[in-house]
Amino acid sequence: MASDEELVGRLVDGDELALRELLRRYERPLSHFIYRHTGGRDVEDLYQDTWLRVTQHAARFDRSRRFSTWLFQIAVNLCRDWHRRPPPDPARLPDGSAHDDRPAAEARIDSVRLLATLPELQREVVLLRYYQDLTEDEVAQILDCPKGTVKSRLHNALARLAATVKESQ
Amino acid sequence: MDGSERSARLAAHAADCVECQGTALPLDRITAVLDAVAPDVDAAALSRHTFARLQPNLQHQALVLGWRRVAIGVLTSLLPLPFVLAYNAYLLRFAYDLLSGVLPAPIAAYLVLSYGAFLVLLFGTTYAAIPLLVVQRSVQRPRAAA
Repeated sequence: MASDEELVGRLVDGDELALRELLRRYERPLSHFIYRHTGGRDVEDLYQDTWLRVTQHAARFDRSRRFSTWLFQIAVNLCRDWHRRPPPDPARLPDGSAHDDRPAAEARIDSVRLLATLPELQREVVLLRYYQDLTEDEVAQILDCPKGTVKSRLHNALARLAATVKESQ
Repeated sequence: MDGSERSARLAAHAADCVECQGTALPLDRITAVLDAVAPDVDAAALSRHTFARLQPNLQHQALVLGWRRVAIGVLTSLLPLPFVLAYNAYLLRFAYDLLSGVLPAPIAAYLVLSYGAFLVLLFGTTYAAIPLLVVQRSVQRPRAAA
């Protein structure tokens, strides 16, 4: 089975099968990462933009690096840009009342809200370290910060989450 | 990666982290909330839509790359051409001098020009084959990889 890095090499040649395979391998982790980062908003746009950048810049990908690190780095940058955008016109916001009577939706909102209580940098560490199969070194590479910073952000995030959980009970 | 693995990951961090060791963190409760509900995303549908959107880009990219390879192949092979032509012109001239010593000049000229025409044909077909070979290689590469 071809490695992710080999598939990126084939992507440069315009190989559609390589793109299909990469999409299949990362569709769940990437879409879930974006969902949790943005609270479920604009997931499709950000997901497509991430892969658009992958295909556009595949030729510049350094194959000595891990593809997953590069992919999540792109996703993190796009999600950060998304958070910096001005909020949408209230008239365009989707109506959430249709989901209010669903317990699953409430629980989802709880976990989304819990993550939303974290500052962006701490939330990213939790998303990458807790939900994705990434080491502290890889998280540090993705976020372009030292490993010690990742540890300290994770600690601060856990402390804040603990306080929020206690308050809600 | 399931919930227990993720919890173990957090527990490992808490055990390793000096700051976390000094704080009593309710890791079970935190992980229970974080794992309560999986994101409501149809990942397969997202991939299908993404593939449909990126397919034209990828085809365009492959086309541009193909033409770039043809151009590089042709230009690279054209580099030594002046030297090859000069060397062959020298050889033809030498052959004409040699033949015109033993044969009548028109016959020597006919033989040398015939050979020259043959060489031109040979060079022409060789250079015409370069783009075809490059294109064929580009087509074969994804097939072999698949």
